[in-house]
Parts: sequence; C-alpha cells; structure tokens
Amino acid sequence: MHSLKLISTFLKVNLQVALAYRMDTLVNIILNLMWLGWELLSLSIIFSNTKTLGGWGPGELIALLGVFRLVNTLMAALIWPATEKFNTSVRDGSLDYTLLQPANSLFLISFSRIVVWRVWDLALGIILLVIGLSISGGSASLVGLGTFIVLVITGMLVIYSLWIVLVAATFWFVKFDNNVTILHALLDTGRYPSTIYPPWLRLIVTFLVPVAVATTVPMQALRGDLTAWQVLMFFSIGVVAFLVAYQVWRLGVRKYSGASS
Amino acid sequence: MLKIYRRMWQVNWAEQWQYRANLLMYLLYWLVSPVVYLVVWTTIANSQGSVNGLTANDFITYYLVLLIVDQLTSDITIHLLAYKIQDGTLSGELLKPVHPILTSTLVNNIAFKALTFIVLLPVWLVLSLLFQPNFASVTWGSILLAVPAAMFGFAISFLLGSTITCLAFWTTRVYSISEFYYALGILFSGQFVPLQLMPRLVQQIAQYLPYQLTRYFPIELILGKLSPEQIILNFALDIFWLLIAFLIFRWVWKEGVKRFSAVGA
Repeated sequence: MHSLKLISTFLKVNLQVALAYRMDTLVNIILNLMWLGWELLSLSIIFSNTKTLGGWGPGELIALLGVFRLVNTLMAALIWPATEKFNTSVRDGSLDYTLLQPANSLFLISFSRIVVWRVWDLALGIILLVIGLSISGGSASLVGLGTFIVLVITGMLVIYSLWIVLVAATFWFVKFDNNVTILHALLDTGRYPSTIYPPWLRLIVTFLVPVAVATTVPMQALRGDLTAWQVLMFFSIGVVAFLVAYQVWRLGVRKYSGASS
Repeated sequence: MLKIYRRMWQVNWAEQWQYRANLLMYLLYWLVSPVVYLVVWTTIANSQGSVNGLTANDFITYYLVLLIVDQLTSDITIHLLAYKIQDGTLSGELLKPVHPILTSTLVNNIAFKALTFIVLLPVWLVLSLLFQPNFASVTWGSILLAVPAAMFGFAISFLLGSTITCLAFWTTRVYSISEFYYALGILFSGQFVPLQLMPRLVQQIAQYLPYQLTRYFPIELILGKLSPEQIILNFALDIFWLLIAFLIFRWVWKEGVKRFSAVGA
C-alpha cells in the first residue's frame, strides 16, 4: 500500500516535469514514431525477399517487435534514467540521502525517475502485438496467452535482476560507470528471434545478457514451441535471479561508505 | 599549417587515449546491429539458396567489410561540438586564428578512428573466424580504388555532420535533428541491407543521395561488384557532393557564428 502511494507520487512529479517540457515530449514522440516506421519498413524489406525468417512469418515478427517494444519501454522509462541517477549519486555521495529515507533503497532508486511519456510506447507495443498476432492467424489458446504474459513478466524480471547486479557492482568499483553498456548494446538483438542466431550469439543473449528470455522465449510459448517444463524452468530462473540480485544489492549497500568518508 | 595539425594530433590522441576503456564499450555497442543484420540475411540466403542473386557468402563479406568502411567514414562531430555551441565554450575556440571545425574537430575525429581501429582489428579477426568469409572477389586493385572512395566518403559525412551540428546555433533540439538524419542514413547508405535488395524506387533515390557514397559505394568497390561505368559515376557523384557539402557547410557556419556573437554567449 505504502509503495503504491509512493509510485503514484513519483508519477505525479514526473508528469509535471514532462508537462514543463511539452515541446520536447512532442519531439520525442515524433522520433519514436519515426523509429517505428523504420522498423516496419525494415521488416517489409525482409519479407519482400523471403516468406519466412527461420520459420517465423511476418505476423510473428511484428508481434515480436511488439514484445521488444514492451521490454524497451521498461528500459527507457525506468532503467536508463534510474541508472543515470544512481551513477551520479554514487560518485557525488548523494546516495546517502536515498539510503536515509524510510523506504526500500532499491525501490526508491528504481522508480523515482519514471519517464511518463513512454506510456505511449507501451500502448504501441501492445497494438503491434495484437496486429501481429491477428496477421499470423494462429488461434492462441487462453493457456498459451496466459503463459505468454507470465513469461514476458519473468523475462523483464530477469533483465531487471541483471541490471541490479550491474549497478550494484559500482559499490565495489566506483569508476565502473560503463556498468550498463553491455545491456544497452545487446538489447537490439531482441528485434529478431534468437533461434536464427549462431550458437555462440544465442548463448550470449540467452544466458549472459538474457535479452532473448524476455523477447523470443514468450513468443515461442505463444507459438507452442515450449514444453511445460521449459516454461516452469524459465519462470523459476526469473524468481531465483531476482532473489540473488537483491542479496547482491544488499551486500553492496552495506559496502557503500559515501563519497566523503 | 602542417605544424598546427601535428600539434593538434598529439593533443587529441592523448585526449582520446584516456578513454580507451569507454572505447571498447562503444565498439561493442556499435558492432551489434551489423552482426544481427548479417545473421538475419544469411539465414534467409541459406534457407532459399540465394536472395535476389546474393548468396550467404555475399552477405557475410558485405557486412564484414561494412564494419571497416563504417568505422572509416563515420563522423562524430555532433558529440564533439554541439555542447560547446550550447554552453558557449565555443567562444574560446573562436579566438584562435584557425577554423575550429576544420582543425581541432577534424583531427579529433581522425584520432578517434585511429584508436578504434586498434580495438576493432582483433574483434574483426574473431568475427571472421566465426563467420568464415570467402574474400575471393577482392583484389589489390579494388582495395586501392577504395582508398580515395573512403576518403571522399569521410569528407562528405564529416562536412554534412558538421553542418547538422551547426544547427545548434539556431535550435537546442539539434540532437533530435541529427537522430533523424542518421536514421535516414541507416536506410539509404546500405547499413541495413545491400541497396540492391531495396524496392527499385528507393534504390534510384539512394543512388543520388550522399549517404550511399559513405558506405555502399566503398564496400561494393572493395568487393569488386561494380562495373567501370558505375565506378566513374560514383566518383563523379563524390566530387559533386563534396562540393555541395562544403558550400552548405561554409554558409551555415558563417551565418551561425554571426548569430552566436549576436546573442553574446
């Protein structure tokens, strides 16, 4: 209850920020639409030269693009701004004030800088998903849809956990301000099904920087490519990853000693 | 003049050398898209034998050469200069008796390239081992011809990039404009896909835009895919666009600096 109230306050504050810079928000949305046009055009170029991409049809790739955009929204609306704030506050010591506040520090770091206009992106992702699914014409069962949603959330949890570990590393290595670049760099692999990648790249995006777990895996569940055991495995990996990451964060906070001391 | 450039090289090289760890990260970031496109197109080529006459090996060699050409001809002026225009520190550079963009920024750009190549080469060799390209169509002559093509390509993208950066004299949204400019570039320069796979109309437009001179033309030249007539046409286009880019740049810079001093920043 308490955290819900906090989130709504954060939303309100950040909405005011966005409204103060109305023109920037508009420009950002236009640029965002331009990239969407770019993505759809690139898909149309691909499918004007072929019928399937590694067994995936155009509808499925549009749906995958939708899922990718959902993940990308998570990153752009929460993770990147939070990283920026976190890295600065470790360097100049203002993290002290966050730690002193009577709420969970990880929670405060993660949610205090929500980029509100990205809600638009969220809607766009869902629209792409629906359009893609209706083009591919696969009659998704209710169970398939349920697993899909669970796996999308699991995948985001896995990426969020990796992020926690990466930024927590800053507690030990203060100069490590490139902490999230690897995540940022590999995010683009999520636009295409990881099943077409060569083994070494598939290993990287599944286990090392698990972008595919949040994008390809849920789509595979929807296509019926996964067994119940695999679904269960991905789900438990998500939960375990978060629990481990949270412990790393707590150790890191204990290690942190402020910038001046 | 040559002495000035030499001195600037020493300063800028030292400046860039400080950030070598960041460089590795930058390289990783920049590598991912071409590698993904390579995989996408080789998958398609393998599943149906070829795409529009292009085999899997054609795609592999194309994107591997793209990695090198892209590094040679790309331009980072917006990151070097836009903030100086915005916060007014450009004033200091304007006091110097040499053109700030055509000396310091240019040399900084080149120092950045030289340094990136030290990191890029081993990475490129690893990628070559992984993808096993067959470079049979490349000849010494084609590489030799590609040297001036790449230099033209860099000169054009540097001048156009600088022109876009100079828009910072008028608007604070220069980064958005440059994002738009680069998005068009990915499509029309052949970074996303070899241009011959584009719809015919787009190909015809792309042929006469400056973008393809910075990536597609040097790549195809190296791979020995162009007829003598096409090579001559593209070099003529190189000269034409270099001239245009230089004139536009000179005009925008002159007007911009006038405005800059008028504001008194």
